[in-house]
Amino acid sequence: MNPSVSILALLMACAPENAGQASTSGAGPLGGTLQAIMTERGLKEEDILAAAKTYTPSGKLDEYVIMASGGHGGNLIAIGVPSMRILKYVAVFGPESWQGYGYGGLGDKILYEDSRQGGKEVTWGDVHHPNFSETKGEYDGKYIFVNDKANARVAVVDLSDFMTKQIVANPLVMSDHGGAFVTPNTEYVVETSQYAAPLGGRYAPLDEYDTTYRGAAMFWHFDKEKGRLDQEKSWAIELPPYMQDLADAGKLESDGWVFINSWNTELSAGSEGKGKPFMESGASQNDMDYLHVINWKKAEQLIADGKFDIINGVRVISLATAASENVLTFIGEPKSPHGCDVTPDGKGIVVGGKLDTHATVFEFSKIKDLIEKGEFSGKDRYGVNVLDFQKSIRGQQEIGLGPLHTVFDDKGFAYTSVFLDSTVVKWNPNQLGQPVEALSVQYNIGHIMAAEGDTVSPDGHWVVAMNKMAQDRYQPVGPLLPQSFQLIDVSGEKMEITYDLPIPLGEPHYSQMIKADKLKPLQVYSPVGTNPYTDEVSPHAVTAGQERIERDGKKVHVYMSVIRSHLSPDYIDVNEGDEVTIHLTSLEQAYDQVHGFAIDMYNVNVSMEPGKYEEVTFTADRAGVFPFYCTEFCSALHLEMAGYLLVKPRE
Amino acid sequence: MSSPTVASWERRRRAIVVALALTGIGCFGLSWLLPWWTFHLVAPQYPKGLDLVIHLTGVQGDVFEIDIINHYIGMSSLGDAATFERAWSGWLVGGLGVAVLGAVLLAGRRVSWLAAAVAAAFPLGFVADTLYWLYQSGHDLDSHAPVRIKPFMPVFLGEGKIGQFVTTAWPNIGFYTVLVGVALLLFAVWQRARVCRVCPVHDTCGATCPHAFVGVPR
Repeated sequence: MNPSVSILALLMACAPENAGQASTSGAGPLGGTLQAIMTERGLKEEDILAAAKTYTPSGKLDEYVIMASGGHGGNLIAIGVPSMRILKYVAVFGPESWQGYGYGGLGDKILYEDSRQGGKEVTWGDVHHPNFSETKGEYDGKYIFVNDKANARVAVVDLSDFMTKQIVANPLVMSDHGGAFVTPNTEYVVETSQYAAPLGGRYAPLDEYDTTYRGAAMFWHFDKEKGRLDQEKSWAIELPPYMQDLADAGKLESDGWVFINSWNTELSAGSEGKGKPFMESGASQNDMDYLHVINWKKAEQLIADGKFDIINGVRVISLATAASENVLTFIGEPKSPHGCDVTPDGKGIVVGGKLDTHATVFEFSKIKDLIEKGEFSGKDRYGVNVLDFQKSIRGQQEIGLGPLHTVFDDKGFAYTSVFLDSTVVKWNPNQLGQPVEALSVQYNIGHIMAAEGDTVSPDGHWVVAMNKMAQDRYQPVGPLLPQSFQLIDVSGEKMEITYDLPIPLGEPHYSQMIKADKLKPLQVYSPVGTNPYTDEVSPHAVTAGQERIERDGKKVHVYMSVIRSHLSPDYIDVNEGDEVTIHLTSLEQAYDQVHGFAIDMYNVNVSMEPGKYEEVTFTADRAGVFPFYCTEFCSALHLEMAGYLLVKPRE
Repeated sequence: MSSPTVASWERRRRAIVVALALTGIGCFGLSWLLPWWTFHLVAPQYPKGLDLVIHLTGVQGDVFEIDIINHYIGMSSLGDAATFERAWSGWLVGGLGVAVLGAVLLAGRRVSWLAAAVAAAFPLGFVADTLYWLYQSGHDLDSHAPVRIKPFMPVFLGEGKIGQFVTTAWPNIGFYTVLVGVALLLFAVWQRARVCRVCPVHDTCGATCPHAFVGVPR
């Protein structure tokens, strides 16, 4: 029996007590109703099947959670699977008023100060590749890291409260792409440059592109105890200006190695104002670019041995040292490659060439062998040893036009996104030859993602196509269209699209999907008065009865408690020009009893989750009467949860 | 009939009475550590409900949250109720134990029922006291409260509804433990009456037992 027919039979069988009152169709009333709805809405049996696979009734929770890049929305999106319900946007590189991030609270330091690049404030990000922290090559559900391509920054999001806890600005490079990839035990978060530029943010004319412009692979050390990246213990490797692209860390057999694509061995810097071709053709002349093979364990040793230069405060292994020590070697890779994905067993590295029709599978053991034997086919112009392409590969898989990224399931299959063909191609990296199946997706798929699909043990079942174009898929909303995620069931014989989710806030690049039970988020901050940025009770937190206002010259400190349905004190009297700090403590301890704290006209709004400590600092530079109030509808007397800030004008 | 056998049987029977009394008193002591009464509150916004668990030493459960809800109708904080009883409950249980044991061992035949009366007064006193404080909390409402409601008697047993909250109240393990203790003591007192009936001095003993109950007279 066709599976969709059996589902229908099952649905009909669900209401046996009503079967006697069957409609004229002869089916049970549910079946009859279902048939009527199907006819009315023009639904096919496979649509009903897809709905049955994904529809999640009220009160039922999802099995997986996607953390997706929000692209130039600068945030992350949490999505439940299989329901594809959007659960939360997590503000990362841009201000977000609901979460009170960037509107006067403690998060402002991360967003407006720590994240500065070369002293410049940047309040948006082009989020590319979220990566969960890993233990032994498995997602551990503790943190997620993301990179901002536009401004070469990496952020740490804490999955205990889904809040951004750190942003680090790469002091070397001007943009990144191959990030934020983690090594199998989150020793490092790897961030690789994209557009080459003089390291450290210096000036050099484009004439010096080949001599002065450089890329770099930054190895951010992650302090697991503190849950923060530690720049002091981080280091980098200088790379040629080949425009490094995606990267992946080796695992199991290839643990200790990192693989990075590049697409500009031509050293094109565009027209340079001299009539040269644009980068699109300038960087697309060679049939081969270079896969970068980095031995990071050896690089770590070089750093320990002091074999580094310091550039803009960062320890950097020079290109010459990296080349002579074989910390960096190259292999040709066809052509304008994009995705670079290590197989779950760590034995293969799959590279998709945007302008090629193949995915190339490199064999790690062969690469390691060649490097150990010193068997190189030559050197590039910077003296980096190059391995022979044919001797380094397992083989090539015919995929289609524009293969990009590859993910894996639990049965040994690989799924490659094919941009120009707009397909997902299923194939077997251990049996190269005919692809197993190609599924059309709508449209222009970029990244692809599978359930725990880049760990050492992928879960299978679900694959998500992240499409760059929506075209006719959704109700039109003007010339700027949402992006489109398609949830694909790969558990059966044939791949089936089961859900289309519009993403209405930016162009998501990569995402990852984690088993929901690996996430153990907090319900409330405990003990009461916990500062989420230190995970300790703030010395300025108050308990009931300790609320007060302290004045010291022009500095005013308000110690305020927040609990249903009052803010205490509810009256703050200051003089124009005073510097006001409000220390807020939510005394709430009940799940989902959230308050907010906003001061009208002062651009202040912070979120007060139960037990949380927050701190708002501002200069009272406008005289007048300013109501403050709770911005969450916390209780029936929410509107009454208010007070006044009075700023007395200067004499 | 040899009198030593009778004497030994009498001795054993008296020991059983003492053991029953001690077990009953033990139940009292145990109940001091256990929850006595449970109130479960359910409202649309609390799908899992809130619990209030009464111990002799205090109130446990979602006290903080229930206080927040209660303050809207002007009920005083749960922490302010029965402060004296909670502070002295340990002494009370200890004193009851001593009094009951004293009554069993030292009271004369005519007043030995006092042990049972004292024991039975314990759970009854708890019920009366809890009813009193429930009445207080439902009637002594802050007149400045945001929501003004008619004074009410909160539910003590079974189900009641105030606003959107449906409250269910029932005895908990500590209360049952005490009932077992009372039953054991009633049984002990009854057994004692049977012992006293055959006692040689049963016509002459006064307020106290001349041989401290366990010492069988010759």
